[in-house]
Amino acid sequence: MILRRLLHLIPVLLGVTVITFLMMSATPGDPAEIMLAGQNASAEQVASLRRDMGLDQPAAVRFVHFIGHALEGDFGQSLFQRRPVASVIGERLPATIELSVAALLIALLVAVPLGVLAGVYRHGVVDRLATIGSLLGVSMPGFWFGILLLILFAVRLRWLPVSGEIDFSAMPPRVTGFLLIDAMLAGRWRSFVDTLRHLVLPAITLALPMAAVLTAVVRASMQDVLRRPFVSFARAKGVPEWRVLVRHALRNAMLPVVSVAALETGSLLGGNMIVETVFGWPGLGRLVVESIFQRNYPLVQAAVLLYAVTYVLINLAADLLYMALNPRVRP
Amino acid sequence: MTTRLLALGAAGVLLCFNAWAADMAIGFTVDAVTLDPGNYRARDTETLLRLMYDGMTTHGPGMKVVPELASGWQQRDPVNYDFTLRKDAKWHDGSSVVADDVVFTFTRLMTPGAINGQTSPRKDLLGPLKSVQKLDENTVRFVLDKPWPVFPTMLTFQEVIPKAFVEKVGAAGLATQEDGSGPFRLLEWRRGEQLVMQRVGSSCIDHLIVKVLPENASRVAALLAGDVDIVNELPVDAIRQVEANANTKVVAVNGTRSFFVALNNTKPPFSDARVRQAANYALNKQVIIDRILRGRATALNGVLSPDTFGFDASLPAYGYDVAKAKALLAAAGHPDGIDVTLDTDGAGKDMAEAIATLLTQAGIRTKVAVGEATQVRARWLTKGAREGDMWLSSWGNGSLDPIDIFDPTLHTGGRGNSSGYSNPEVDKLLDAADTETDQAKRLDEYKQAQVLVNRDAPWIFLWLPQDIYGVSARLTGFAPSPDGRLNLRDACVK
Amino acid sequence: MSFPFAMAGVVAFVLIAVFAPWLAPHDPAAADLFRRLQPPFWLEGGDLSYPLGCDALGRDILSRLIFGARVSIFIGIVVVALATLIGVLAGLAAGYFGSWVDTVISGLVDILLGFPYLIFAIGLMAMMGPGIGNIVLVLAYKEWVIPSRVVRGETLAAREMDYVEAARSLGASSIFILLREILPNIITPVIVVATLRIAQVIILEASLSFLGLGVQPPTPSWGAMVADGRSFMLDAWWVSTFPGLAIMLLVLAINLAGQSLRHGFDPRSTT
Repeated sequence: MILRRLLHLIPVLLGVTVITFLMMSATPGDPAEIMLAGQNASAEQVASLRRDMGLDQPAAVRFVHFIGHALEGDFGQSLFQRRPVASVIGERLPATIELSVAALLIALLVAVPLGVLAGVYRHGVVDRLATIGSLLGVSMPGFWFGILLLILFAVRLRWLPVSGEIDFSAMPPRVTGFLLIDAMLAGRWRSFVDTLRHLVLPAITLALPMAAVLTAVVRASMQDVLRRPFVSFARAKGVPEWRVLVRHALRNAMLPVVSVAALETGSLLGGNMIVETVFGWPGLGRLVVESIFQRNYPLVQAAVLLYAVTYVLINLAADLLYMALNPRVRP
Repeated sequence: MTTRLLALGAAGVLLCFNAWAADMAIGFTVDAVTLDPGNYRARDTETLLRLMYDGMTTHGPGMKVVPELASGWQQRDPVNYDFTLRKDAKWHDGSSVVADDVVFTFTRLMTPGAINGQTSPRKDLLGPLKSVQKLDENTVRFVLDKPWPVFPTMLTFQEVIPKAFVEKVGAAGLATQEDGSGPFRLLEWRRGEQLVMQRVGSSCIDHLIVKVLPENASRVAALLAGDVDIVNELPVDAIRQVEANANTKVVAVNGTRSFFVALNNTKPPFSDARVRQAANYALNKQVIIDRILRGRATALNGVLSPDTFGFDASLPAYGYDVAKAKALLAAAGHPDGIDVTLDTDGAGKDMAEAIATLLTQAGIRTKVAVGEATQVRARWLTKGAREGDMWLSSWGNGSLDPIDIFDPTLHTGGRGNSSGYSNPEVDKLLDAADTETDQAKRLDEYKQAQVLVNRDAPWIFLWLPQDIYGVSARLTGFAPSPDGRLNLRDACVK
Repeated sequence: MSFPFAMAGVVAFVLIAVFAPWLAPHDPAAADLFRRLQPPFWLEGGDLSYPLGCDALGRDILSRLIFGARVSIFIGIVVVALATLIGVLAGLAAGYFGSWVDTVISGLVDILLGFPYLIFAIGLMAMMGPGIGNIVLVLAYKEWVIPSRVVRGETLAAREMDYVEAARSLGASSIFILLREILPNIITPVIVVATLRIAQVIILEASLSFLGLGVQPPTPSWGAMVADGRSFMLDAWWVSTFPGLAIMLLVLAINLAGQSLRHGFDPRSTT
């Protein structure tokens, strides 16, 4: 089944690549002109830039060229950075992953307990709070909430830093590029804490809408499951209440949560451009959005492929989890 | 959630550590695209590279062109310049800056395909430069194809790189590593986040950290929080806040970017000069400068900024005069006013709406159309469709020489001639001034051209905004420069 | 919280939107630079005829909120309704029929999801030009995936349930089973997600506006008002706070109404 899903990657990647290509070639804008925008430049300079960028070739030729090289793992040169796309993207990956994982963890840590309590004690205080909390969370724009946190915790209280991933004086030696892991490898408690301090605000900003959605889903799903016959049956059999809740109810209630969490995690990787901009976080989202506006075709193509692979893998993981939680599903 | 936050925050306070006293930080809008001084074309990247690399020349006080790596130069004839290098100039690895390095740098910039098969995007900034020759260990000769009076000015845009280092690390290495001769040495470049540098030689600054902060509100927050000592592009709306804070203040300098509304000279209604003049009379630009830009801009009546060579202060101003605007419109056959559209990108939306409101009040009923920046620009390119009526636009001029702003935006077919303006007399004057080596004559030619452009009114002339910086009170020895460079040689933090 | 109360909230918002020209005290597009960032009436410098203050161009925020309700409610509800309809049908089909139907739908979903949203947004706007219809399409194109994933998962589980087996053995048609047996049993999370997504859609419209791809000026939208006001958060909080509150209130009303409405669908509901 895993093998089948991995094979399934091929048509997805192909579809994504083709759509990206069609979209980008239908969108007006010339990267050479963008690079020289608002500057004087000779016709010869424009021509040499276009040649370096491969724009003197027809779009279809460039596309075939890209596919051919991509199969060999070469994604070409980023048009503006003028370095290989793979390294430009690679440099941004660790920060993106660290932030996304942190946000996912925060969201789950908030949503699951809160949602379960709200579901079990229906119409109780926790339920009311959870409902209002998730409504607030979901209706607050990320950039607005982020700036609010900045003003409060970085400007007024000065508890946390405004921007970046780490303070320069606390940088651990680079091993994996993941600062938390590098800090642990180097045994530097200070680096570890400094990284966490930088991570808190962007991770909470990113986690907020996700936590809000997940809380609502857990709550609804829990309420739903608790009314199902198998729960009453288990209770009737004399199974202890905590066991009913954990073994029977929670397990089934987690099914839609897994679907939604997988989706939200996927959009985390692409959708954190705003948070990255507000907190000066060196992630991939900002780079890709800038690249779209600059018509940096090779970088956008490669990033799109990366997103697609990540989506498929996350969903594969979600499906495996689904099967583990619900043995009756045999896809 | 809140208690979690508080707990985390409290933990942070306990473990908070002080940055070193002599470290200074800058909140900067964008990251460098590359560290290779020959392989980029973005002005902000130049600002950052200039902290680490020096050029042959630079702008001194009053934007005068002065030698930097050079100790001086001599112009032998209109096409030959001899530059002598400073004897004490050193690369960060300790070796001396010699003529071979200069020859290598400029040959690399000029030769097609010299950077791993790519041609430098900065090649044409060197204009008619033909060759660079080593005369002796400390002297180089630049030979031009034809006279080009702005050559020493244009040299301020190029950073000199060490031959031996580039040969060792290659173009790929130079893109992420540094060995310059400037005041700061690179320690680490964390892409998209920060550049950490160390001061070379003795100074009261130890480290310089450039933090990338694209969001205005965050940059201001970083300054107010004391995280950084300088922020660039301080939004005018933050000025009050920064001034009210005891630990921060505002410094500003006349910028080099001229703003204008490009009018489509190639189709009605703006193909009629009277309608274009009417638009200039109809816009009360002083109220925008006072209310929106909070006085931080100078009204323009032409393309050139007051600091630019050849600026004509005596150009007639188009004062706010609705009656005159309506009369001109009527004379052009539009007694009931006109209906037009003003194109803009997302960043210019507010300003475009303000302009549209004011124009509408004066009979030029203006609708704003917001589009993605690249697409809007593509529509207004010289070779673009140019179907719109008006475009809120601007053009930067770091060299403060008309050749970089007048020629591209108003010469027939110029790269930035978005309005499609074409006046043979102006073209002739600009062509002549391009190669005129007699500065007095050159000045006169530009002045004549400005009078013609002012009369023809191809644009609604707007303003030149100041470049505004927010700085911390503990910072000394820093004054903003009109060319956008951050000159931190004498900067100090207490 | 009772159904009539919640419904009244939603109706109130809709009425505000419909009767905007009669309710708004000022022209929402009328700029007055001399009232730039004027505070609400209870703060110093405020003025009762501009009760919630003015924005960066000196336009009345209250009037813009009233007119903005039109755009934001329209976009939020139309997009989510469209997306939920498509998503539920696709999810049911994928989950119930399995095999190639699931493969095709899941493949499509994977391609859409693996595709950065902004490229699609920019591409579509470039090809078809700006306009509210295109904004709806841009927002709905990926939105339907969310209900479809939820429904697919739930359907997979429900398919094996006793009551479905029972219906099937009685010879009920697939359509009947899907609509009468499975749909009512899985509708709960769908409605929960849909009501929450309305807010997300209104906010997404803000990010489109921010990129110059949103509703064209001078038409106000709440999302764009919040986005535009963020530069003034330190200084003039009212510019982004009031539209933010409006979004929150609308979401609250829709959500409460949705919860009440759900009981009509849900056969197992007891309260």
